[in-house]
Amino acid sequence: MSPRPGFVLEVDRSTPSTLFWHGEGYRLEKLPVGSRVLYAPEPVDALPDPVGAIRRALDEPLGDAAPLRSQLHAGMTLTIAFDDVSLPLPPMRGPDVRQLVIEQVLELAAEAGVDDVVLIAALALHRRMTDAELRHALGARVFDAFAPHGLLWQHDAEDPDQLVHLGLTDQGEDVEINKRAATSDLLVYVNINLVAMDGGHKSVATGLASYKSLRHHHNAHTMAQSRSFMDQHRSELHSSNWRMGRLIAASGVKVFQIETNLNTDTFPEQFRFLQRREWEWTARDRAAFLASSKALEATPDRVARSIFHSIRAPHKMSAVQAGEVEAVHARTTENVYAQQLLEVEGQSDILTMGLPYICPYNVNSIMNPILVACLGLGYFFNMYRGQPLVRAGGVVIMSHPTPWAFHPGHHPSYIDFFEQVLAETTDPAEIGKYEEAFATDPWYIHLYRTGNAYHGVHPFYMWYWCAHALEHLGSVIIVGGDRAAVRRLGFKPASSMADALEMASDVVGRDPSITHLHSPPLLMADVR
Amino acid sequence: MSGAERLVRRVSRLRPEGFPWRAPTWPVTLERDPPPRHLGADYDTEWTRRYPARLARAVLLDNVTRPLAHIVASPEVRGDEILEHVEAPAIYVANHASHVDTGLLLSVLPARVRHKTVVAAAADHFFDRRWKAHVWSLVLAAIPIERHRVNRKSAEDTAALLRQGWNLIIFPEGGRTHDGWFQPMRGGAAYLATRTGRPVVPVHIDGTYRIWPRGGTHLRRSPTRITFGSPIVAAEGEDARRLEARIDAVLGTLADESRTDWWSARRRAGAGETPSPRGPAASPWRRAWALGPDPHADDEDDDSRWALADD
Amino acid sequence: MKGLVFEHNLARFAASRLASVVGGSGRGAAVGPLHFTDVEPPELPGPRWHRVHPILAGICGSDLSTVDGRSSRYFEDVVSFPFVPGHEVVGTLDDTDARVVIEPVLGCLARGIVPPCAACSRGATGGCERVAFGHLAPGLQIGFCSDTGGGWSSGGLVAHEAQLHRVPDELSDDDAVMVEPTACAVHAAVAAGAEATSAVAVLGAGTLGLCTVAALAQLTRPAWLAVGAKYDHQRRWAQELGADEVIDPEQLVRAVRRRSRSLEASGTLTGGADVVIDCVGSDESIAQALRMVRPRGRVVLVGMPGRVSVDLASLWHREVTVVGAYAYGTEEIGGLVRRTFDVAMEVVAVKGLGRLVSARYPLDRFEEALAHAGAAGRRGAVKVVFDLRARGHFRGTRPSTKGPDS
Repeated sequence: MSPRPGFVLEVDRSTPSTLFWHGEGYRLEKLPVGSRVLYAPEPVDALPDPVGAIRRALDEPLGDAAPLRSQLHAGMTLTIAFDDVSLPLPPMRGPDVRQLVIEQVLELAAEAGVDDVVLIAALALHRRMTDAELRHALGARVFDAFAPHGLLWQHDAEDPDQLVHLGLTDQGEDVEINKRAATSDLLVYVNINLVAMDGGHKSVATGLASYKSLRHHHNAHTMAQSRSFMDQHRSELHSSNWRMGRLIAASGVKVFQIETNLNTDTFPEQFRFLQRREWEWTARDRAAFLASSKALEATPDRVARSIFHSIRAPHKMSAVQAGEVEAVHARTTENVYAQQLLEVEGQSDILTMGLPYICPYNVNSIMNPILVACLGLGYFFNMYRGQPLVRAGGVVIMSHPTPWAFHPGHHPSYIDFFEQVLAETTDPAEIGKYEEAFATDPWYIHLYRTGNAYHGVHPFYMWYWCAHALEHLGSVIIVGGDRAAVRRLGFKPASSMADALEMASDVVGRDPSITHLHSPPLLMADVR
Repeated sequence: MSGAERLVRRVSRLRPEGFPWRAPTWPVTLERDPPPRHLGADYDTEWTRRYPARLARAVLLDNVTRPLAHIVASPEVRGDEILEHVEAPAIYVANHASHVDTGLLLSVLPARVRHKTVVAAAADHFFDRRWKAHVWSLVLAAIPIERHRVNRKSAEDTAALLRQGWNLIIFPEGGRTHDGWFQPMRGGAAYLATRTGRPVVPVHIDGTYRIWPRGGTHLRRSPTRITFGSPIVAAEGEDARRLEARIDAVLGTLADESRTDWWSARRRAGAGETPSPRGPAASPWRRAWALGPDPHADDEDDDSRWALADD
Repeated sequence: MKGLVFEHNLARFAASRLASVVGGSGRGAAVGPLHFTDVEPPELPGPRWHRVHPILAGICGSDLSTVDGRSSRYFEDVVSFPFVPGHEVVGTLDDTDARVVIEPVLGCLARGIVPPCAACSRGATGGCERVAFGHLAPGLQIGFCSDTGGGWSSGGLVAHEAQLHRVPDELSDDDAVMVEPTACAVHAAVAAGAEATSAVAVLGAGTLGLCTVAALAQLTRPAWLAVGAKYDHQRRWAQELGADEVIDPEQLVRAVRRRSRSLEASGTLTGGADVVIDCVGSDESIAQALRMVRPRGRVVLVGMPGRVSVDLASLWHREVTVVGAYAYGTEEIGGLVRRTFDVAMEVVAVKGLGRLVSARYPLDRFEEALAHAGAAGRRGAVKVVFDLRARGHFRGTRPSTKGPDS
C-alpha cells in the first residue's frame, strides 16, 4: 500500500482527542472545534537494496564529479567525515546508514590500496561522542579497524594545530576548518538528512568549523533573518554557509559529498500508535497508549529517560546520492520535501505543539529548559516554507514538563547560562555581551576537549535559534512545565491546555484560530 | 577509620608483637645473601605433576573448564579423528589469538591427552608473581618458557618432560596476535621436535580473537572452530629450520581450510597459492579490513559482552 | 521584676536539644532550661559600675544555639549559671533618660584585674585572657554571667563604665539595638583583610550576613561582593546594602567559578574568591567556603561554629588561611585605631540598619519570640528583639515585619 500524503484536519465534535508529546510521556488533549490539525505524510518506502543503491551512487555521481573509485589511488590521503550523534533522531536500529556508506567507501579504498585514511566525527561545537555511540554509528567492523590505531578522530574546534584558516568570504566571514580535512587529497562527507536544514555546504562549513567561523552565522541577527532555516533559499544561515562552502571548494579542498534521506518511520512496533491518526487506533493501540502513559506518569524521571533513550528507530534510507555538493543537495532537498511537505492555507492565531523527549542536543541525556525552548521555538516553529504557521503577534503553546534539570557532564555551560544570563535578559539580541566570556572560559574548553560536554558558547546558539520566533510571536506558553523554569525562560506557565488557551486569548483575542502540529513524524508546512 | 579497618586491626593484635611470634629481623652487621626467588623460568612446577595436583587439575578441567569453554566458545571440532592414531606424547602447535585458546584446546582434546598435557606459557607473563605461578601451573599445567631470551634450561626441561610421556601444547607465535593475523613463528616447537623425535600435531583455532582479543576489555560469547591437521614427524637428520618451515606451511593451509574447506585448501596448497596467514603488507586499517566482515555480526547489542575491566 | 533565666539542668538541655532538632531552632525554649520568672536586679559589683534598664534586647544566633543546647562544650567554663541572656542591649543609664548601648565583653577592666592582660591593654577586649577570673563570676560577656544580669529582664543589668557607649539622638532604638551585631560584622570585615581589588563571597544572609555586607560595602568597597541568600527578603536587603551579586546558595560556587574563570578539580575550584566569609558556621557552610576560596585565600568564620567535621586536605594543599572572628574591641582602619563600636555606629547610621529589626516581642511571649528568631529566614524576618517597655500581656502594636521598601 503506497504511503498516504499528509493532510489538514478540521476538528469537529466527532473528532477524538489529539495526541500531544509531553517529554518522556504523552497526553491526549481535546482541541476546540474548528482547530486545524496537521498530519504528516506517511513514511515513504525504504530502499529495498541499500548497499546496492550506495554502490550505484558512488559509481554514478551527480554534478561535476568523477566516480569515487576513480578518485582513489594508493599513496593518497583520504579523510572521511561523518555527521555526529545529533542525527538521526531517535538513533536508528543497526546497521546505521553511516555504517553502510562508510563500509562501501572503505571497500573501494582497500581495493585501491589507500593506506592513509582518517575518519572524523564532524562535531563542530557539539559534544564528543562516546565509544558506544561511535560503535553504533560506524558499526563494529569499521570501529575496530580504526579506533585502536588512533585513526578515528573527533573534530576539536579549540585546537589551533588542528585548524586551518582558508580566508574570508566576500562578506568578510572567516572560513576556518579542520586541517586534516582541508589538506587531504580527498574529503568524503557522509551525511544524514533528517530535515531540510541539514546537508549541502553546511556539512563541511559548519560541521568541521571553529568558533571563529561559526559566529558569523550562528548569531541572533542571522537567525532572525532566516525565514525559515528549513528553506535554503530564504535562509540567511544557508546563504552564509554557501558562501563559505564555495570558498572552501575554491581553496582546493576536494569534497565528495554523500547525502542520504531517511523515511519518517520513527517509532517501533510498541509505540506505533504515536504515528497513527487517532481515529484509526485499534484496540491494541488504545491499550498500549493507556498502559504506557499511566506507567510513565508513575515512573521516576531517570528511569523514564533511560527507557525512551534506548528506543531505536526503524527508519531506513529512502534515497542516497553522491557527488558534487550543490547538485547532490538539490536532489536531497527534493526528497526531504517529498517526504515531509504539507500544503497549508493561511496562518492562524495560535500554534500548539507537543514536544518530545529528544532533540539533536540531548541524545542519551537530559532535556533541559533551554533545549525545550530551542526544540519548540527553534526547530518546530521553523518547520515552514513561505510564512510561519502562526501570525505575527500570535501565540505558541508547547507541552513539555520542562524540568529544572541539567546534565552536568554534557551541558555544564547551559547551567551557568540559565542561572546567570537568562536571569538578566531573555532577548537574543542582548545576550551577546556574555558570549565572549562563555566562549573563552577555560573550564568549558577543557570539558569540551577532553570530556563529553557541549562547547561553552553552545547555549547561546540554542537561544539564537529562537530569535526568529521570539521576534515574531506575541507570547509563548508552556503547558505542564515547571513554573520557575518556564518563567526563567521568559514564557508563561499553564497547568492545562484549557488554561493555556484562556491565557492565549488575552493576547490574540477571543475565539482564536488554532493550528496543531501533530508529531511524530516530522512534517514541514508549506504555508500559502 | 572504617568498621572493616577496625576489625582487621583488632584481629591482628591477637598475635603479640616480636620474635618468636613474628619472623626475626636480621642483625645489621651480618651479611645476608638475597633470598632466593624462584619465579619466571626458575619456578619449579614439579609439584603440579604429582598425583594430588594431577587429580585436582583433572577434576577442574573436566567439570569447570570444559563446560565453560562450551558455553563461551561453542567449539566445532574438525579432524579430531586423527588424534586416535597419534602416538603419545605429541607436541600440539596452534595459532594464538586469545587467553581462552589454552582452556579451549584442552577442552576439545580427548581425556587421555588432556590429563597428561603440559602447556608452554610465557615465563614473564604467567610466572612473574608467586600466586600467578601457583595458579596457572596447577590449573593448566603450565610450564615456564622464556620467550624473549634463549634459555637452554627451559628447553632442556621441556624436552625431559616430553621424554617422560607428557604431551605439550605450545604456541609458536610466542604471544597473542595484535590484529587478528598470524605473527612470525619462533623456532621452539621445531627445536623440541628434532631433539625428542616426537610428532607435531598442527591445530588451527578460529574465532577466539572475537571472544577476548589482546587488549580487550569485554568477554564476548562467540562460536569457534578447531581444526586438527595430520601430524608431522621430523625426518632423519632434518634440521630445526627446515622443520619450522614445514610446520609454518601446514598451519597456513589449516587456516585456509578452516575458512573454506579441506579440498579447496589442499588444491591451493598444491598450487602454492595458500593465502598468507600473516595478512597483507599494508597499513593497520587495511589489515583489519582484510579480516573480512564478521559472520556473527548480528549480535549487535552488547548483551552478550561481559566487562572484564573498567572501560 | 520578671526576666528570662537560664538554669544549669542537664535533662532540660537534652530536651531542648531534641526539640530544636525536631521542631527547628528556637523551639527548645518551651522545654529547655530557660524560665520566665522573677528576677532580682543584680548588685553593682563596684564603684565604676552602672545600672542599665533595657529598652530593646536582641536575640542573637549564639543565644539560639545556647537555648537549643547546641553550643560547643568549650563554652562551659566561660559561662556561669544561672544567668540572664541578652547581650545586644540598648537601654537607659541609671535613673536618667540617657540611652546607652552596652559592649558586653567582660574584660580585665570590668573584672578589676590589674594589671590588665596583653589583649585588654591593647583594647582588644575580645581576646581577654581572664574571662573566667577576677572578682566577677566567669562569663565572656554580659548575658552569660550570673553576676551581671542580662538584657532579657526588665530588672535590668549592670555594666562597667568602659562598656557603655552613648547613643546619639539621631539613632533610633532599632538602630541602637543593631550596633552590637554590626560591631561583630565590622570586626569580621576588617579581619577579612579584603582590598579594593578583592572578590569577596559571603555565605549566609541572616542578620550577621547582612551586617557584614553593609560593613564591607562601606569600609572596604571590594571589587566584587557576592552573597548567598536563600530567601527573597534577604536578597532584597543584600542588594540594597551594597552587594554586587545576590545568588541562591546552591549556585554560589558556580558564580564564583565564572567570576574567577577557574577550573574545577576534586570538587574544588582551582581559582576562587579572595575572601570567603562564613556567617553560618555549619559543616556544609565551612566545606562550601573551602571549595570557593582561591589558593592562599582567606576564610573568615564569623558565625559561631560548633563541633564540625571538615576535610582539610584542600586547605592544606592550597595554603588557605582560616581565621575566626569573634566579637570586637578596636580596629585599625586606614592607619587609625578606633573602637569597633564607634565604627559600628557609623555603619548603622549610614546604612540605616535599624530597618533590619523585623519583629518585637514582650518577654512573656518568649517561646514565640525564640521560635520566630530561629525560623527568621523562612518567615521573612531578619532580626527579632524583645521589647522590654511593653507592659504585661501585649495589646496594641503587633510585631511588624518591615521590608527594605518601607
